[in-house]
Amino acid sequence: MTQRKRLSNSQTPSQSKRRSDSLEEDDGDMPFTQPSSSQVQRGMEKFTNSQVDQKVAEVLQYILVKDQKKIPVRRADLVRNILKDYRNVYPEIIRRVVQTLDQVFGFKLVEIDTKNHLYILINKLELSEATAPLNAPSNPKMGLLFVILSVIFMKRGVVKESLIWNTLKKLRVDPGEKHALFGDVKKLVTDEFVRQRYLEFVRVPHTEPIEYEFRWGQRAEVEVSKAKILEFMGQVSD
Amino acid sequence: MRKSKGGGEDPSRHNGSTGRRRGDRNSEGDHDGFGSGSLQDDDNDPATRREIRSKYRDLINSVQQNREDMLSPSNNKLTEVLEEANKLFKDVRQPREAALDAQLLVVATDLGKEKASQLFAEGSSFNPAAFAVHLLSFMGLNRLENGDNEEENGEGYLPNDAWDRVARRAECCFRTAPTFHYMMGSFHAEPPPPKQRIERQRKLKKMEESHQEATEKEVERILGYLKSYYQDDPTTPISYYEFVIDPNSFSRTVENMFHASFLIRDGLARMYLDDDKLPCIAPVEEEMEGAASTSRHQCVTSISMKTWRVSQFYL
Repeated sequence: MTQRKRLSNSQTPSQSKRRSDSLEEDDGDMPFTQPSSSQVQRGMEKFTNSQVDQKVAEVLQYILVKDQKKIPVRRADLVRNILKDYRNVYPEIIRRVVQTLDQVFGFKLVEIDTKNHLYILINKLELSEATAPLNAPSNPKMGLLFVILSVIFMKRGVVKESLIWNTLKKLRVDPGEKHALFGDVKKLVTDEFVRQRYLEFVRVPHTEPIEYEFRWGQRAEVEVSKAKILEFMGQVSD
Repeated sequence: MRKSKGGGEDPSRHNGSTGRRRGDRNSEGDHDGFGSGSLQDDDNDPATRREIRSKYRDLINSVQQNREDMLSPSNNKLTEVLEEANKLFKDVRQPREAALDAQLLVVATDLGKEKASQLFAEGSSFNPAAFAVHLLSFMGLNRLENGDNEEENGEGYLPNDAWDRVARRAECCFRTAPTFHYMMGSFHAEPPPPKQRIERQRKLKKMEESHQEATEKEVERILGYLKSYYQDDPTTPISYYEFVIDPNSFSRTVENMFHASFLIRDGLARMYLDDDKLPCIAPVEEEMEGAASTSRHQCVTSISMKTWRVSQFYL
């Protein structure tokens, strides 16, 4: 992923003008912009169907493996590392990928950041308490995340970091100490959950000393059902 | 005119005592070149200017340091700060002071925004502390039977699967895509080679041992033969070549030579040249051990097929 290749594809002037749009690109690569439909058509003529299918399979594998850590997939990485020469048929490939994800896996590929073109996978199916597999091991981190998201939600979407830490302390999770289950809690909450786009940890402007606040992340907006959170709150407060 | 802070102080005194209350606030480098106590136009008096600036800085600091206090809906401190700023602003003449005024306004409006959002939130009455206590019950907290206080504090024994309970309940609210893993995991190329090496070494050792045992047995057997020959006729020397050569097998001959060399190495037999300068071999008597061990010589004997075939005729 750190290779810097100068691609020799020819680009139309309009594409090179939009260079400044994509901020995520390395300096050595030309930024990727959606090819026009005529370009796609020309591109499809260059490759055989099975070649394109092969690329589709590679893209699928890449996305599935990236999803293991729940880190969003960057379109730029996808194009640079997997597609390479197939850039011009990107729309067709993505179309097939979305279709396969939908029909074979039951997943949806969602763009959570339209500016930087980040994608995540979510489940098409909704789980309920009755259908959840009983013996499947659960991830306690999800429990922690859920608590944080609930508090932020009940506080209308923005919460000072101190409030979160105080609430967690009452639940015997201290960001200053190493937790038996979660380890470095502060790092988990402010780094891992943020990278996975479950939470946003932003600085409050004009504060001295520096303060931060938590918000729902782009992934949480798509993955988490707010109605279900309310249900849970009602259940717990009984 | 200057009644705001430190009331009654002579404004023309440029001691800056009011300004330097915080000590490090006065970052200006300018010196007051004018003499003290002169009746100057306030607009140009650097001391006055400095005073105004320092007052602004004090206000800004007070807003930042006492943020929590100002946010509380129970007081009007923010309004007071703004009124103060209004008064100060009347005397502002230079851009520097105006910039500070602007800065104060930025800080104050931020605070104002937070206060406003607080107002809105007051209506929802969500208490995170109470939520935490309820959650602990949900997680299966075993409260001690000591009294009512424990219930409110959330003390007690939290079971190990506490967070798992929450997680299971939480997973229903998430539309997380299940992650993809290979069922059998990936295979490792590493472990087999070390095992092979270990096994091979073990085999080698066993073979070596068996070799050694066989050799020892053979050596002993030959020693036995040598001794019996010697006992039959202690006076006649035993020709070395007669002893080792097997007329029917070359390989046997070589083996015999090999085993005989062990006997000599271990001092169980000795070789000497008889009167005809032919090598002879004889077992070493135990009494003679001391003498034999002091004089040790080495020699190399060899035999080839040609020689062996020739010997066949003579033996």
